[in-house]
Amino acid sequence: MKFKRDSVSDEIPTASMADIAFLLIIYFMVTTTFAATRGLDFSLPQEEQDTPLVDKEESVLIEIQPGGALLVDGKAMELDQVLDYLKPKLERNPMKPVIIRPDQMAEYGGMVDVFDELRQAPDKIGMPVKNVSIPTQREIEMFWY
Amino acid sequence: MRLSVRSTQNQGIPTASMADIAFLLIIFFMVTINFEVDKTTVLLPKTALRLEIPKKSAYISITEAGQIRVSSGEEISVPVPGPEDVLSFATGVVASDPSKAFVLKADSTVPYSYVDKVIDALKQAKAEVIYLLSEQETIDTAGAGG
Repeated sequence: MKFKRDSVSDEIPTASMADIAFLLIIYFMVTTTFAATRGLDFSLPQEEQDTPLVDKEESVLIEIQPGGALLVDGKAMELDQVLDYLKPKLERNPMKPVIIRPDQMAEYGGMVDVFDELRQAPDKIGMPVKNVSIPTQREIEMFWY
Repeated sequence: MRLSVRSTQNQGIPTASMADIAFLLIIFFMVTINFEVDKTTVLLPKTALRLEIPKKSAYISITEAGQIRVSSGEEISVPVPGPEDVLSFATGVVASDPSKAFVLKADSTVPYSYVDKVIDALKQAKAEVIYLLSEQETIDTAGAGG
């Protein structure tokens, strides 16, 4: 009579390893979100910096009205005309201050559109708009004259 | 005479390296995963110029309805009652890390008065830089005057 001897495998069973790994992959694929992590940078003036007071007449004032219409130095203008208007002024004075002043009821997107257009100045008119400021309502009430 | 042993062909698909491939994929996902600290759904403005935002930046989100949520970049964002409360939040963040960047994630249709108050709070808190979170402007949207 023959006896059958049970043989015990001395290896770690790895057959289900791929299943576990794929489950983990599915978890990561489901939970991964492709977030927007890019945007426009806007440096704020620091108190230590010697910030000169800008005369309103010396600067270019871009007003954004509630419907999104632009007034540049009081003249109605389309967004794509702003840099052409600024170019001769920047050629005379590269540090020409440009003030963006959105109406309190204007959409935030309108301000971003104008700021984005000004940041594209090196590509569109060959020179940067170096001196852009967006004063807040509190600053306007305190310093605007 | 001994006949040579006939070679047998394995009919199964070799799956020995399957686990290796799967673990490489897992490592890829673990390295690239970006845990969002703010999951507020907003319609971001579109810009042609977009710069990479530093990791662990503080987030301030403003929804279309004007609801504000803040996060120091380390934990999930929490709602704050109004723009006035952003000042105390921003002051605390700047005190712990003066060079911390702030990300403004605001709905493009929100009235500017909300954004104005938040920017003013950040200026008062002596924040150095704000990133205006945006989506990529495509040629079509640019052509449409957007």
